[in-house]
Amino acid sequence: MSKSSPRRPFGGKSNGTITVIEAKVHRSSARNARLAFILTAVIAGLLAAVVAASSIHPILALFVGALIGVPLGGLAWVLVRIWPVLRVLWWWTPEIGITTLVGAGWVQLANHTTTPVTLLVVALVVGVPAAIPATRRAVLAWAWCLVVRHRLRVCFAQFIIANQSGSLPLILWARPTPVGERVWVYLRPGLSLADLEGRLDRIAVACHASTALIERASDGNAAYLRFDIKRREVLTAQVGSPLVDVIDPGTPVTDRPTPAVPTALDLPDVDVPTVTLPAQKKPATSANGSKPAASTSPDTDDVSDWI
Amino acid sequence: MTTTAETAPVPVGPGLSMFDPIFVGIDEFGQHVNITLAYRNLLAGGEPGGGKSGLLNTIAAHAALSVDSRLVLLDGKLVELGQWEDCADAFIGPDITAALDVLKRLQLVMNNRYAWLRAHGRRKLTAADGLSVITVLVDEIAFYSATVGTKQEQEEFVALLRDLVARGRAAGIPVVAATQRPSFDIIPTSLRDLFGYRAAFRCTTPNSSNIVLGHGWAEQGYTATDIQPTNQGAAYLIAEGGVPRRIKVAYLTDAQIAGIADYAAWTRRPRRLPTLVPDLTRVDFGMAA
Repeated sequence: MSKSSPRRPFGGKSNGTITVIEAKVHRSSARNARLAFILTAVIAGLLAAVVAASSIHPILALFVGALIGVPLGGLAWVLVRIWPVLRVLWWWTPEIGITTLVGAGWVQLANHTTTPVTLLVVALVVGVPAAIPATRRAVLAWAWCLVVRHRLRVCFAQFIIANQSGSLPLILWARPTPVGERVWVYLRPGLSLADLEGRLDRIAVACHASTALIERASDGNAAYLRFDIKRREVLTAQVGSPLVDVIDPGTPVTDRPTPAVPTALDLPDVDVPTVTLPAQKKPATSANGSKPAASTSPDTDDVSDWI
Repeated sequence: MTTTAETAPVPVGPGLSMFDPIFVGIDEFGQHVNITLAYRNLLAGGEPGGGKSGLLNTIAAHAALSVDSRLVLLDGKLVELGQWEDCADAFIGPDITAALDVLKRLQLVMNNRYAWLRAHGRRKLTAADGLSVITVLVDEIAFYSATVGTKQEQEEFVALLRDLVARGRAAGIPVVAATQRPSFDIIPTSLRDLFGYRAAFRCTTPNSSNIVLGHGWAEQGYTATDIQPTNQGAAYLIAEGGVPRRIKVAYLTDAQIAGIADYAAWTRRPRRLPTLVPDLTRVDFGMAA
């Protein structure tokens, strides 16, 4: 349902504001499936009928088209109906695959070896990568990549409203970086880099990270973005300069003339301004005529010195 | 001429060039970060103790070891760049008159170089020309532009520096300037915005970070406030990529700087200048004027 101010279709003079109130049109899954069925059935049926008409009677070709179009439409209907399930399966494909492999490996191992050997193999397969810091870090980093892709999806689904149909950006490849993870994302219509930059802090929180940065990953396509999730500070060690290695260590020290070494290095050694400043006040006040008696009694304290 | 008792022959310099990429540190991926300064100007900002002088010293070390390089150092604190004095063609301490003098000389050189380029039908200096790149390093630019001297001298300093930054690029006179917070009351925005490369060390507010890096970067997540105060030398650098990169600037200890400076001075001039021609710089200046 939409409502707008009086229509001025072809750039006619407008009063400046156009209010467009769009009610959220939630196309139900059933409606989408029905549409998919009709479209697929009609298009596939017609195509099949046209092809068949070249060899058989057109009326028979229509029947053939219907026979082919209806099952294909039904297939499309089923696909659309179970699309949410397919989508979830697709999102969790890496985890499902890894779990299946591990489970199958475990079953095969248990079936073909004795229990002590099985436990020994498991201990080695799990223990060795866990014991070596480099592999442990690599495994953890890739595990974080899997986590971050899901967390980013949570961000897009929960608080970054994309468009009316609720389609989520395509979360592509993720790979570990020394500071965290880098994820490539392809935006769907309704979002932009500027929209996301306003939500960096919330994205960082959702990803259990310290900060998040977003850059364009392509010069030619504004929808292709790169998320840099940062959860570690790596630039803490001191960095040396390679120039130190190019010089000759036996360089003779340059004979510099000894500069004049200044003396007054502490505060009490420097006393000139602190003494002269109050002294400069007196002539100024007497010049104004406000303190004419100040010069006549030099021994007594002048109150103005202490203010 | 006195013959000095040198045991070792004067070595050949390391053969670096100011047209080479200068190593300034590493980024978060552990990759080397190199910047080519010959045609660029760099502005470094950040709170005291952030690592600005580390960056200046790294650049000064490369310039000192470069064959085709001359150094002009302006250091209000004397100690940040003071160790390079023997390699430098001019080292200016807290003296705005001397700073103005050297900037005027540089302006004259720049004009001459442009006239030379025009005579040869060219638009910019290249490594093949055999002319030296005169790197101007200014530490604590605020000292000259807002602290010492009269108002007129400060304005003249800013005007001369702006001219160098604006026109020096193609003439091989890059300017590297550092200050804590280059806000408009310290250096005019018209000068600040001319610096193509920016390095923001730790800042206390996102606004300060924006002043160094350029407007709007903090809102995009690039703010130098997220650098830990203990992490000296970490900075955001805008260079070739156009996007701030988190880097860690290489650090040279005093002993290393002294070693490189001595070596550079040894390769550049085996005997100190005053023993050959006393006060050579003034003589040159007098002839040019």
